[in-house]
Amino acid sequence: MRFRIYRYDPDADSRPRMQDYELPLESTDRMVLDALVRLKEQDDSISFRRSCREGVCGSDAMNINGRNGLACVTPLKGIAEPVTLAPLPGFPVVRDLVVDMTQFFAHYHAVRPYLVNNEPLPERERLQSPEDRDKLNELYECILCACCSAFCPSYWWNPDKFIGPAGLLQAQRFIVDSRDRITAERLEFLDDVYKLYRCRTIMNCTEVCPKGLSPARAIEEIKVALVRKSV
Amino acid sequence: MRLFSGQREFLLQRLTALVMLAYLAAGALWLAFGPSVTFAQWQSWSAKPLAASALLALALALLAHAWVGIRDVVLDYVHPLRLRLAVLSGVAAGLAMLAIWVAMILIRHMVALA
Amino acid sequence: MMRTPTSRPVFLNFARIRFPVGAVASIGHRISGVVLACSLPFVFFALDRSMGSEGEFAYLIDVLRSPFGRMALVLLAWACTHHLFAGIRHLLMDVGVGASLTMARRTAYATLGTAAAIAAAAAVFA
Ligand code: SF4
Ligand code: SF4
Ligand code: FES
Repeated sequence: MRFRIYRYDPDADSRPRMQDYELPLESTDRMVLDALVRLKEQDDSISFRRSCREGVCGSDAMNINGRNGLACVTPLKGIAEPVTLAPLPGFPVVRDLVVDMTQFFAHYHAVRPYLVNNEPLPERERLQSPEDRDKLNELYECILCACCSAFCPSYWWNPDKFIGPAGLLQAQRFIVDSRDRITAERLEFLDDVYKLYRCRTIMNCTEVCPKGLSPARAIEEIKVALVRKSV
Repeated sequence: MRLFSGQREFLLQRLTALVMLAYLAAGALWLAFGPSVTFAQWQSWSAKPLAASALLALALALLAHAWVGIRDVVLDYVHPLRLRLAVLSGVAAGLAMLAIWVAMILIRHMVALA
Repeated sequence: MMRTPTSRPVFLNFARIRFPVGAVASIGHRISGVVLACSLPFVFFALDRSMGSEGEFAYLIDVLRSPFGRMALVLLAWACTHHLFAGIRHLLMDVGVGASLTMARRTAYATLGTAAAIAAAAAVFA
């Protein structure tokens, strides 16, 4: 199988280049990541991140044949050749397929991704009704892989100011949590032409989320909550 | 009030869109079921104060909608601060001039036929 | 928030990125919006002329019948239709109608198709 991989070594290359590889597939090579691991045996200078190799850790997000996805859950079967692998679009490249996620996580932290509740601690735990718990579905599953934010045109244009789909999905996850007490503050923080309103529901984020989540929907819900708040 | 509010423009964009949709629906209904319009009828109708105000309201909704849209385009693609401010003020001035112009057109027409 | 201080390259090669249909409809929405905004002076000019006298009205029709006027009409027909349908699509998505990915894809295709069809019709009949 033919591969075309984005290569960039800051110490050796003045600019990135695409390098072609040929790999005879073995029966154990099922996912793009399997092939990538064996390509690294061929050429150990190829750099990429991976950990869980089963779609849980979110570390091997990359651009595969023009779409962002996790290499470990993208099947080789039926994939178009040459399989073109590039780093996440719009993110500064550290080396090869490894990108700098600093800004991405800064946005994540900015939405305060934790419960804030200063009421006296209950005996054992803060309870939640099953209905309230259900509101967290399709929000809590996010693995912060950044496939979505790196596929969002609005994030490409304003990566320093727009929180991006991943961060906003997390924001909504805490906005709807019945145990959180600073909903109003959270909404106030997001009512900003850059932080939230750069999103124009292009839905590229939802297209590529490997966990099948819809950041676009979460963002629309934040906008609706903001309208409710001000009328 | 913040210079670039998020929600205010977001709502303005949606509201003006709905206003224009209503006009469009009315226009489409007229075309489909109303009698066809001659030049003379159009000329005298558009000079009536009520009709002229309706046309002006439509033009203003259009211009406000255009402002939000172009502002978004500029915020996305034009990053150097001075250039961005220059472009935005240029657009705002242009749209304001268009608003004055269209008001003058409608008023002049009303006066001419009064 | 800080922009990461960096001289690092960024991969953003549009020839290598595959845009989903929603993104195509969205950029069309933007382009048609800019086209429509740029057409405003001409629209107001036409409004002015259309109310003046029978002669000016006829002159206006002549301008629109010229090859250049026809081209402008086709462009405007596309821009109006695309912007209108893409806009309605977004208004509905705002209130949660057609917001699922499957529906959003379908309505994006429908928007692109209708606008192209109307533009083609305008090219033939205008
Ligand atoms: S929303 Fe989906 S694509 Fe985005 S970071 Fe979370 S898991 Fe990844
Ligand atoms: S829906 Fe919003 S967040 Fe998602 S890709 Fe589009 S602009 Fe970005
Ligand atoms: S290696 Fe963990 S998500 Fe792919």
